[in-house]
Amino acid sequence: MLFCLYHSSIYLTMLMMSHPCFYLWLHRFLCRIIPNRTIHKNFFYSFRDKYRFYACLLRARFDENKHEKDMMKATMMLKAGEEEFWANQHPQPYLFPDSPGGTSYERYECYKAPEWCLDHWHPSEKAMYPDYFAKREQWKKLRVQSWDREVQQLQIETPADGPKSEALPPARKEGDLPPLWWQFVTRPRERPM
Amino acid sequence: MEDSVSRMRSGSLVHCGSGLRNMAARIIARCVRSLNHRAVCLNSINTAATLTAAPLTHGRTFSQLTNGHKSPLAQISGSSFQVFQWRQYGDLPPLTLETIHDRVLYVLKLYDKITPEKLQATSHFMKDLGLDSLDQVEIIMAMEDEFGFEIPDADAEKLMTPQEIVQYIADKKDVYE
Repeated sequence: MLFCLYHSSIYLTMLMMSHPCFYLWLHRFLCRIIPNRTIHKNFFYSFRDKYRFYACLLRARFDENKHEKDMMKATMMLKAGEEEFWANQHPQPYLFPDSPGGTSYERYECYKAPEWCLDHWHPSEKAMYPDYFAKREQWKKLRVQSWDREVQQLQIETPADGPKSEALPPARKEGDLPPLWWQFVTRPRERPM
Repeated sequence: MEDSVSRMRSGSLVHCGSGLRNMAARIIARCVRSLNHRAVCLNSINTAATLTAAPLTHGRTFSQLTNGHKSPLAQISGSSFQVFQWRQYGDLPPLTLETIHDRVLYVLKLYDKITPEKLQATSHFMKDLGLDSLDQVEIIMAMEDEFGFEIPDADAEKLMTPQEIVQYIADKKDVYE
């Protein structure tokens, strides 16, 4: 069923090794596909050992055609495999609770208050946690100090027509903090209590 | 008889005087032990500490009477690192770095293309263990199944050693941040 796709996925993996630039996007695409394939196999076979057996069979059929060099054929097989996957997919795939469409997706978002709310606490409330707020003042000072350098680094590194992706660059100089570190460090907990 | 039983159950409660207190302590100890067994199962603390670890609202004054210790909080912070979530909805037990590490290595040892003897925390999938990029994807999928949350592809293709996987999961799940 999903063998074709597996075939082409592996081709493209191998191809990616040899022609990194062009087939990188295909590799990424197939890396998204393969989990789909295998996960959907998981849905059809509820027992782990059965599922593992058929997943290994799939993988073996891929490995047979691993060394295909013809790009055209590989892409055609990928397309065919995609269509087969679409035809054979599970009607009610299991989605993890935290993934979009899962049961607890964004369930705790309403409890995740931003960290600037802490600044609006009443002093009597802040006095209940004195050492925490003292440390927080130090962190805020650090942020103020490093902000200009972060902005400068981002301005230097961003190309003229806007950033290409959401990924932030790391800190380039010694003793410097990575840009926009505050958002990352003060992100809310996974499960706010 | 009662006294000896209470002495057996809770070491430091021996010091309390009245038999009524002993009985109450025994009952509370039993309740608390069953409640907190999972949460404190990693710690080898005595019943007195579990009493202090119990919801601080009602347990504290009583245990301060019985223990005569300075602060039960110090005992908690000394003996266990786990954050006690008071609103215990139907959630999984809290993760620790050791348990994540053990589970990751366990899943990897179950994979048939990896020899368990050669597997280390820092062994690179491609270089040391000789695995394919597709094998790596399969491994990441197994990790997703094990820990029950999705790992996006952009992050997944960068995870090349078990240690990186452990760190990523700890990062996502806020373990010892």
